[in-house]
Amino acid sequence: MIGFVARRLVTMALTLAVISLLVFLIIKLPPGDFLTNQIAELRAQGDAAATAKAEFLIKQYGLDRPVLEQYLVWIGVWPGPNGFSGLLQGDWGWSFEYDRPVNEVVGDALWLTLLVNLTTVVFLHVVAIPIAIYSATRQYSIGDYLATFVGYIGLATPNFLLALVLLYYMNHWFGISIGGLFDPEYANEPWSLAKVGSLLQHLIVPTIVIGLSGTAAMIRRMRANLLDELSKQYYVTAKAKGMPQTRALLKYPFRMALNPFIADIGNLLPNLVSGSVLVSLVLSLPTVGPILLAALKSQDQFLAGFILMFVAVLTVVGMLISDLLLAWLDPRIRLGQR
Amino acid sequence: MTARCLPTVSLRRATAGLLLCLAALVTGPGAAEAMPALKETPFFAEVVGSGQLPPIAERVPQEPLVVDLEAHGRVTGRQGGSIRTLAARARDIRYLSVMAYARLVGYDENLNLVPDILASYDVEEGRRFTLHLRKGHRWSDGHPFTAEDFRYWWEDVALNRHLMPAGPPDFMLVDNELPTFEVLDETTVRYTWSKPNPLFLPTLAKPLAPHIYRPAHFLKRFHARYTDPQSLAQAAARQKLKSWAALHNRVDAMPDFSNPELPTLDPWRVVTAGPSSRFVFVRNPYYHRIDTAGQQLPYIDKVYVDIASSGLLAAKANAGEADLLARGLTMADIPVLKQGEKAKGYRTLLWPIARGSEVTLYPNLTTTDPEWRKLNRDERFRRALSLGIDRRTINNALFFGLGMEGNNTVREGSRLFEEPFRKLYGTYDPGEANRLLDEIGLDRRDSSGVRLLPDGRQLEIVVEVEGDMTMLVDTLQLIGEFWREIGIKLFIKPQDRTVLRNRAYSGLPVMTAGPGLDNAIPTAAMPPGELAPISQYHLSWPKWGQYVETHGKVGEACDMEKPKELLALYRQWLGTTDEAEQERIWKRMLMLHAENQWTIGTVAGALQPIVLRDGLANFPDKALYSWEPTALLGIYRIDEMFWDRADRRVAAAQ
Repeated sequence: MIGFVARRLVTMALTLAVISLLVFLIIKLPPGDFLTNQIAELRAQGDAAATAKAEFLIKQYGLDRPVLEQYLVWIGVWPGPNGFSGLLQGDWGWSFEYDRPVNEVVGDALWLTLLVNLTTVVFLHVVAIPIAIYSATRQYSIGDYLATFVGYIGLATPNFLLALVLLYYMNHWFGISIGGLFDPEYANEPWSLAKVGSLLQHLIVPTIVIGLSGTAAMIRRMRANLLDELSKQYYVTAKAKGMPQTRALLKYPFRMALNPFIADIGNLLPNLVSGSVLVSLVLSLPTVGPILLAALKSQDQFLAGFILMFVAVLTVVGMLISDLLLAWLDPRIRLGQR
Repeated sequence: MTARCLPTVSLRRATAGLLLCLAALVTGPGAAEAMPALKETPFFAEVVGSGQLPPIAERVPQEPLVVDLEAHGRVTGRQGGSIRTLAARARDIRYLSVMAYARLVGYDENLNLVPDILASYDVEEGRRFTLHLRKGHRWSDGHPFTAEDFRYWWEDVALNRHLMPAGPPDFMLVDNELPTFEVLDETTVRYTWSKPNPLFLPTLAKPLAPHIYRPAHFLKRFHARYTDPQSLAQAAARQKLKSWAALHNRVDAMPDFSNPELPTLDPWRVVTAGPSSRFVFVRNPYYHRIDTAGQQLPYIDKVYVDIASSGLLAAKANAGEADLLARGLTMADIPVLKQGEKAKGYRTLLWPIARGSEVTLYPNLTTTDPEWRKLNRDERFRRALSLGIDRRTINNALFFGLGMEGNNTVREGSRLFEEPFRKLYGTYDPGEANRLLDEIGLDRRDSSGVRLLPDGRQLEIVVEVEGDMTMLVDTLQLIGEFWREIGIKLFIKPQDRTVLRNRAYSGLPVMTAGPGLDNAIPTAAMPPGELAPISQYHLSWPKWGQYVETHGKVGEACDMEKPKELLALYRQWLGTTDEAEQERIWKRMLMLHAENQWTIGTVAGALQPIVLRDGLANFPDKALYSWEPTALLGIYRIDEMFWDRADRRVAAAQ
């Protein structure tokens, strides 16, 4: 087991190294970046002093070096102008757009992002699993058809459209202010009960909108998995031996049907941070998604690079966790056996 | 030369004097300053009572600007209350400074230049500018606003190579010559050039004012000349900045409103340090304008700016979450805004936008591709492109048929307008367009009917455009249809603004599209800079513009006869102070533009929806909206706005 984890950690490090290289190269691919754009403008002023300032900026961020070297400086295995100072040393770089260190820019948004997406994940499971069990055990009943119908609509509706529609009616019917995560008057207030209340109100729309298509997909998958298991002999035997319905269902076929979702945790984790970009944008949520999009658009390379790397780390960590969980959950899966 | 300037100024002074006399009549004799009896602002009553803030008489200048509201059709208001507005990004809070429009000199509603922060100014021979400050005028932190603040900006900021590597801004230079700056006394400064500088005053009145003064008492703490460089370097390092200059530039965020500690002269000052989703502005206790009843302006105590994504602005306004909102709304939002009016208690005012043309094509005369450069420089080609656009259809499809069809030029009814400016080559005549294109030698076509360039490529014009401006893209799609009829293919390439700008500055695009003339309601005294190849920002000739801007170090010299004439005319305008001559130059330049179609206009006069909460008074129902010269809502003086409803005027002292 320990050997397995160790080997996995090594693979993870290698994967991350490759990802970081790809991320950096792709961000650098389009002609120009935030800084060279700025420098171009300074140069356009044609002033010797301005050019000197440009030289200064170029040196400060090592932009006069080859791309590979810039990359190595960025991850911190090559001495840059400030010595070894990169991702590995915990220096996440400077955001040009915000004119602040990257950690400050992302830090503010990260907690709200986690909150929104965690709520969504909880919503998704709480809604999807019971419905899926219901519609699997009562296949082709009216309830099944209804769940299926609603599920397909959820899958098919573009969620940014749904977001706008819901926003309008939540405001129209309940007077909840449009967009954001709390009423504007709480923006600069310390946390209080009223502010938490406002936050909860504003979480309703994002949760439903982001969660809906996921819920629909999850209902369909869970239902299909369960249906496979329900006809298997072990379940029939358990029922024949007189095991109570619910217990038999939850103890055997349900656990079997859960496997794919545990394996999904690897995808879930990065989604907690980078998911729902479009919806966040439409709903004007102060989360990481819109920041990432803006950073990519304006080629704010260290900011975009850092967010992408962060998501990559979450992905590989999520994969590891889901592997370990699977082994724990399903006795048939054994690790490290040759 | 002096003939024009002196009388106008003395006239202005006469008007000011008249105002003061009027004020004296209202308050009766005995007021030494000929000024109404001052009333304490309820908002500050408590803090003044407890001695934290000096009383009103010590706060306003000894000679405040007394606004006679009745004289320009408004009513004397009541102080109190707050208004909410919206902005798409935190950086956009700077537009509140634009709209608050406190300038040394600014335009009034009739676009005459009048002193505002200044008590008065004298101009001699168009080259010697004496600025008189108001005695007793103070920054928002209570520190006196004096000649020292002007000296600090000029000597320690503009001329400091670390702070302004590119040197002082262009409007401070005449033929590369710096002015002589003199401090005459505590409240008088003088700038003297050897030649006239007609750019000086109009630039001070611009929407984003170049503040030629800075709060010296505050900023000296960050300036290496006045503070120990060692400790400054440490302070800079603490903020991860490399030098004291970077620190100074960060603290000195004059028009950005980003630093709550920086004193201001605006009617409101920001109290929220970013990042935040709501920025709060409170009234400046030392503001220099009062009404004839002795109340200090602004009437509104607080302004809240909420940040919401640009797509939500209309929806939020529809939900009644804005009291005053203009910037960020477009014509397409009008139905949504109208629909919420009754339920939420606001009105949607529809103001015409004063812009040369809503969507304008800029053929790049300095593009790098030699074939295209040759073609773009051929005026027959540009005329053909213009004649090939069916503007009526665009107007009906996108502007409710309310716009003015034609060239990119000054607005109908403005002082300099003449019919041909709009209509010459600005009509729909595909036959003539085809004839012109054939005449140029573009008569070969491929099997799909698209004309071929001499080198065999298809005549496909890639129009580069800012992707988030949907009006541009929609219009271009229509133009593409019209141009297909004259054998030209149009390919729309939407991209990010920064990327587009930088591509343009390096001469890559063949053609770009964007809004037309910013200032479509100019007076002859406003500089005709948008019409001449003097700035790389003008996308018809970015290279020529660079050349002028950098004094020949970057870019290319203008090498075509007609654009050269524009340059010469612009130089003439700079050299004259005679209004008739200025007007002649303006009209000649406008005519040259119509004849040569350097920019191809489509439809002008779109409507700007403005959301105004019921109960907000002293705001015009209909007026012209623009960036320049109206500074968005700036010249309509939102500091004179007030709540005509007692329940909205709740004063909350801080």
